[in-house]
Amino acid sequence: MNPRHLNARNMGIALAILALALPFVLEGNRFLAFVFGMVMINVLWASGMNLLYGYVGLMPLMFAGIAGIAAYAMIYLTRSFGWSFWLAMPAASFGAALIGVLLGLPSLRLKGFYFTLCSLVIQTVLTLAFIFFPHFTNGDTGLNQIAPPEWFNGAPLAGLWFDLVLAIFAVAGAAFCAWLVPTRLGQRFIAIREDDVLAAVLGINVVRNKIIAFFLVSLYAAVGGCFYATYVGFISPRAFDVLTSLNIWLFVAFGGRGTIIGPIIGAVILAPIPFLLQELQAFKDVLSGVLIIVVTLVLPGGIYGELLRRRALRRAAAQPQTGTTAAPRT
Amino acid sequence: MSDATLLILASTVSTGLILGAIFALVAAGVTIVYGCVWLPNASNGQFFLLAALAAWSLTGAGWGSALAIIAVLALGIVLSLLLEWVLIRRLYDVANRNVAYFVVTLGLTQIMSGIFSLTYGRWSDQFTLPPLVAGITMIGPFPLPNNRIAVLVIAFGVLAALFALLRYHRYGRALRAVFQNREAAALRGVDVRAIYKLSFLLGSSIIFLGGLLFALAYSFDLTVAWTMSVTAFAIMIVGGPGSVVGALAVGLVFGFTQAIVSIFASPTAATFSYLAAMLAILLFKPTGLFSK
Amino acid sequence: MNINMKAAVVAVSAAIGISAGMATDDARAQAGAPIKVGFVTELTGPWTFFGTSCVAGLKFATDEINKAGGALGRPLEFVIQDNQTNPSAAVAASRNLDVNDKVVALSGPTSSDTALAMYGYAEQQKIPFLVPVAAFPQLTKPGTKYTFRIEPNAAGWGYSIAKFLEQRKPGAKVALMYSDAALMRAIVAGFKYQAPRSKVNIVADVLFPQGSTDATVQAAQVKAANPDYVIVIGAGAFDNVLTNQLLDLGVKPEQIIHPYGITSQVFGWGQRSAGSIYGTFFDIGLDSLTKEGKDFISRFDSANSRPPSYVENYCYNTPYILKEALQNAGSADREKLRDALSKLKTRELTSGVPIEFDKNGARKEYMYFMQIVSVDGKRTYKSKQIFYNEWDAEVIPVYDLVK
Repeated sequence: MNPRHLNARNMGIALAILALALPFVLEGNRFLAFVFGMVMINVLWASGMNLLYGYVGLMPLMFAGIAGIAAYAMIYLTRSFGWSFWLAMPAASFGAALIGVLLGLPSLRLKGFYFTLCSLVIQTVLTLAFIFFPHFTNGDTGLNQIAPPEWFNGAPLAGLWFDLVLAIFAVAGAAFCAWLVPTRLGQRFIAIREDDVLAAVLGINVVRNKIIAFFLVSLYAAVGGCFYATYVGFISPRAFDVLTSLNIWLFVAFGGRGTIIGPIIGAVILAPIPFLLQELQAFKDVLSGVLIIVVTLVLPGGIYGELLRRRALRRAAAQPQTGTTAAPRT
Repeated sequence: MSDATLLILASTVSTGLILGAIFALVAAGVTIVYGCVWLPNASNGQFFLLAALAAWSLTGAGWGSALAIIAVLALGIVLSLLLEWVLIRRLYDVANRNVAYFVVTLGLTQIMSGIFSLTYGRWSDQFTLPPLVAGITMIGPFPLPNNRIAVLVIAFGVLAALFALLRYHRYGRALRAVFQNREAAALRGVDVRAIYKLSFLLGSSIIFLGGLLFALAYSFDLTVAWTMSVTAFAIMIVGGPGSVVGALAVGLVFGFTQAIVSIFASPTAATFSYLAAMLAILLFKPTGLFSK
Repeated sequence: MNINMKAAVVAVSAAIGISAGMATDDARAQAGAPIKVGFVTELTGPWTFFGTSCVAGLKFATDEINKAGGALGRPLEFVIQDNQTNPSAAVAASRNLDVNDKVVALSGPTSSDTALAMYGYAEQQKIPFLVPVAAFPQLTKPGTKYTFRIEPNAAGWGYSIAKFLEQRKPGAKVALMYSDAALMRAIVAGFKYQAPRSKVNIVADVLFPQGSTDATVQAAQVKAANPDYVIVIGAGAFDNVLTNQLLDLGVKPEQIIHPYGITSQVFGWGQRSAGSIYGTFFDIGLDSLTKEGKDFISRFDSANSRPPSYVENYCYNTPYILKEALQNAGSADREKLRDALSKLKTRELTSGVPIEFDKNGARKEYMYFMQIVSVDGKRTYKSKQIFYNEWDAEVIPVYDLVK
């Protein structure tokens, strides 16, 4: 394979094709298909988290809380008002995204550690809200036997078609990010990440762009949350707590933040672990903690980031006479 | 005043003081390290829990409470030294190290909680230490266990000593100098890295002590780590990062708020008032109430 | 000549080997492939203590059953998987066991969260699901077909406490102090429903949020209300804190009632609590212990350095229940097993308590009340049985009281 063809775009297309094909391949093995479905939901979530963490430079620990709001709202709409999933999901997601913006407003002026801390507090409050409003959420007990979405003819979406729908959304989510980053909006995000004071001086309305980012990220969280609820069939406040946010953050950081492919790789490698590898279960937390430390200390760019860095170094070494090296396209 | 009212009043004061002192200790430990090394220790709750669990193991094996406490504190110093050498010192010169430290300590939290879950989590679902001092002292109609008095005395004693150390002793002054301006302190001959190490040791040891005192005063289970972490951060933020006075004052206020609000409102409102306080400070005065 | 001899020896050995192999294959086929039951429980995560305790009890029973020939002449194999106290992992594990191992039934969870998640899967996929320890009422809500709950439901516990008080001290004044969690709320709901009907007066009602540390102030308030009994239902270690702080303030142990007491809790309450009352479904101090029960207790105690409580007991009885149902069903078929469980009329091996499931899979319910006599450090304790109560799950409108 010609290394020149191994660029991000081709990799992305290859991954997309793989994602859309796997539901058919795995149809016979419902367990692996379930793992695949969970990975797709996590890929969607990781892409969303990456928008804020990778491109705007803020670590939103309330990500899972927003997913929870959308999930509970969607169930409320379908159960109490009889709405179809395909109506309830967009409505709930939009609403949850608005709430995500509202909750993000107070922390607009905060950066770095303070923003992370604030989002941690907000996530804690959301988890508490899920427990203390049992009228909507059934509190600690959770909601079970959540019905899957319906297919066109009214039958429930099940089996390989549900997996395919999840794959479509995951691919669409990643593709949207890929489209967004090179646009003016995406570039503004990156400018804010690099130096938001300078960005403001350059005329970028930091507040407005952050709000747009919050909205988009919350949308990803929300849609993922609605699918999670119907796919697993059971949710409780603990499904949407800070540990979930941290896990998704780990997919992004491990895979490579600030790239499109990175979070996908991170999700694909890490998300199946709780379901496979029964022998490792006992050490799951320890493993996850070690990964977080290793990634922060040794691989700040994640796996994919490290790959790109090495490729850039090789290119630079291969052309010692040229003054400049093209920056790797991500 | 009727007996019943006296009872309620006395229990409010005793709860406020004990909870407040323990909160203040842990928050002081967290704030010293954050103020000096710029290290927000997200795993402070796990250190807290480790101390409590270690003491439980020792007393379960037959050690007396007093001896167990001293042993665990010594163990804590050794562990802190090890951690500093393996992990903490690698980020001393990094630019935005507070975020990196926060994330790294979150990873440490996962590791420790995973280990606890595999070991202590399988041995019992709750842990109690034998009292340091037996017996009960009557304050009017209010029976106050001597164990609680001992915990209060130790907690306030250590807080006072800490205060004196930071204000009057040269190590304390060096700590504050580094916190205020690292470069200036280095120019004046302060060994900054040694001070970092010392403050990490000091802060961690105080957190360990907080965990030991908590274990003496209450029964605990593995969930206390998370609760204490969030509370400690809340107090640090509201009091002002780096301010031990702030940690003390706000810690006591949080302790008393829980106790006082419990009289009138449900315990739920009391326990979560600190979250509201934390949010308010983050939004309106992020540097905290007592910051310089 | 040598080569031919060697070849002949090899050929004959191979022939003997193959036919011997076939013979054992035949023997094994006659013995039958094991009957597999999926056991998805909390081996890691917040409930690891209960999940691992359960597996400890389970292993005793499976060893015994298989030594005695298994079920339907085949070994009974419990395939144990960890759900990490996480509902989505529980569903994944159930799916794995269903699809890959083709288990005849599911069992295992001790946490209501994971049990409810598996419930959805079991009902949908029509797999018999025998829940050993989770107490949540909704596990047998009307319309349930495949799920059977062995432990009495939590609202029923509350009902039973009210009936106990009705008999012990008519007109009693009772204070409630409990943590805010699904289990506690369910118990309290059942109690509050039955209390007026049993002429029990609730003079204080204190709800503690999760993460509470100190209860001295509330204990003082409760003492001021002068109750005859205080019902204490704390979550985790907070149960001890509540108990100790009540005792510190002068409440007598005989006034304290805990709805449930597993051995680690009894040791936690300690000698201080001698005289206090707790509810349970199995205890070393029961009057009705059978020979098998006493045998189980002594063997479990020597193997694990602590006496078993009702968690280990239910997990010990689960394989026996399944074995009997399988024998009644006549074959390892899911539908036949489900029908056999539904019609089952048997008794717990260790205590003789009847086991019978109603149309929704809820068991005919019961509870013992024990009074602590003495606690010897962390090793053993003595309790005496003071009350026993049996009732139908739907004697109170449990599925309306607790959603």
